[in-house]
Amino acid sequence: MAMIEVKGLKKSYGTDLVLDGVDFCIDKGETVAIIGASGAGKSTMLRCLIDLEKAQAGSICIEGEYLLKDGVYADEKTARRVCAKMGMVFQSFNLFPHISVMDNLIYAPVYVNGEAKEAARARGHEHLQMVGLADKADAMPNDLSGGQKQRVAIARAMMMNPDVLLFDEPTSALDPQLTGEVLAVMKDLALRKMTMVIVTHEMGFAREVADRMVLMGEGNIIEQGPPDMLFDHPKDPRTQAFLQPLRHE
Amino acid sequence: MAYVGQIVASVSEGLQYTLGLFAITIVLSMPLGLLLMFGRVGKNRLAKALTSVLVWLLRGTPLLLQLYFFYFGLTFIPTIGKYLVMDRFTAACVAFVLNYAVYFCEIFRGGYLSVDKGQFEAAKVLGFSRSQTIRRIVIPQMLRVCLPAISNESITLVKDTALVTAIGVTEILYFTKAAVNRDVNAFAYVVAAGMYLIMTYGLTALFKHLEKKYSF
Repeated sequence: MAMIEVKGLKKSYGTDLVLDGVDFCIDKGETVAIIGASGAGKSTMLRCLIDLEKAQAGSICIEGEYLLKDGVYADEKTARRVCAKMGMVFQSFNLFPHISVMDNLIYAPVYVNGEAKEAARARGHEHLQMVGLADKADAMPNDLSGGQKQRVAIARAMMMNPDVLLFDEPTSALDPQLTGEVLAVMKDLALRKMTMVIVTHEMGFAREVADRMVLMGEGNIIEQGPPDMLFDHPKDPRTQAFLQPLRHE
Repeated sequence: MAYVGQIVASVSEGLQYTLGLFAITIVLSMPLGLLLMFGRVGKNRLAKALTSVLVWLLRGTPLLLQLYFFYFGLTFIPTIGKYLVMDRFTAACVAFVLNYAVYFCEIFRGGYLSVDKGQFEAAKVLGFSRSQTIRRIVIPQMLRVCLPAISNESITLVKDTALVTAIGVTEILYFTKAAVNRDVNAFAYVVAAGMYLIMTYGLTALFKHLEKKYSF
């Protein structure tokens, strides 16, 4: 069974059609990179998956449970349950600035899932270790660098034990060096077979880590497949045009 | 010197009403202001309209007029007027709480709008309910942004308490005037000014401390 199944997803802002009947599937353990020019609908599609944007038609099914079925949204309780299967990492990190790094990690497990504080804290330390920030538990978010913030954000999302992690341009606000440290954490997750959907402009990273690349343009999928196939044997001329300048990077 | 002590003693008689009005107004108008704010920024159209009108009315008319209205004015309303008779201090409290609530509403609204949209999105994808998001994520950040304005407002409130002397509440200024008239000596004004300065200084120090404590 596919982890994520999207069918005929449509969304427009006024007369501006952003998603024009997108179909795609993501399997368990797969790392999928979604690429494409700005305005192609990549972020919008990702945000639709976790109910941050409402689509107008189509279906979104997460692990067999519908968030959206033929244009009709599930009731609030179901929607919350479906979205709880996913975690999301934002371009602008969106850490809670008024509480410490550790509190950022444990707030949702404790207040949403009712986990005991001590247990959550113990897991929090493990997750901070995993992203290489074991010494930052008591720091405030605004005292961290952008790369550190984003790693905390990844740890925070992982604290909820999601089945899928969605990344919305996770490194677009970072300089190349900080980008590297965030990508290293994501690569680590990919190696551990975390299911990930990554909207990114980091072609080198996408090529190296992704099992599949999806090129979007004009509100739909232009072409998808293993990275090497897209880079070396693109079928669609638009794919060629988009990836050509990057082939020898 | 004996005269100074005497004046301080007689002006201080008004302290309980000054401090009482201040405390009651702060304690009640801030939560009420918060409630009004959520009415104003929420999606419910009726709540939005009602709170907007309330803000317009109470912010657009003098506090002194509102004091007169609640103490003298309400009793003139036909049939129900006789049930709306309040003692001086109660009327003062009602006018002050309502008036300050709309100012706090506007202050809080500014704070609410300053909270980044990404905070709501992050809270949502982590599974926080609407009320949890407000309580744990939005209000703490909002209050931090609002602290300087709240500080300002509370200092204004200390000074505004003097207005209620107009409806005969026996607060500091009431006794000050009495002392000046009795002794034909303006020194009581200086004593009263000193008392207001001590109170506002205390508040300034308190808020400075709070701003430091809740900085992030």
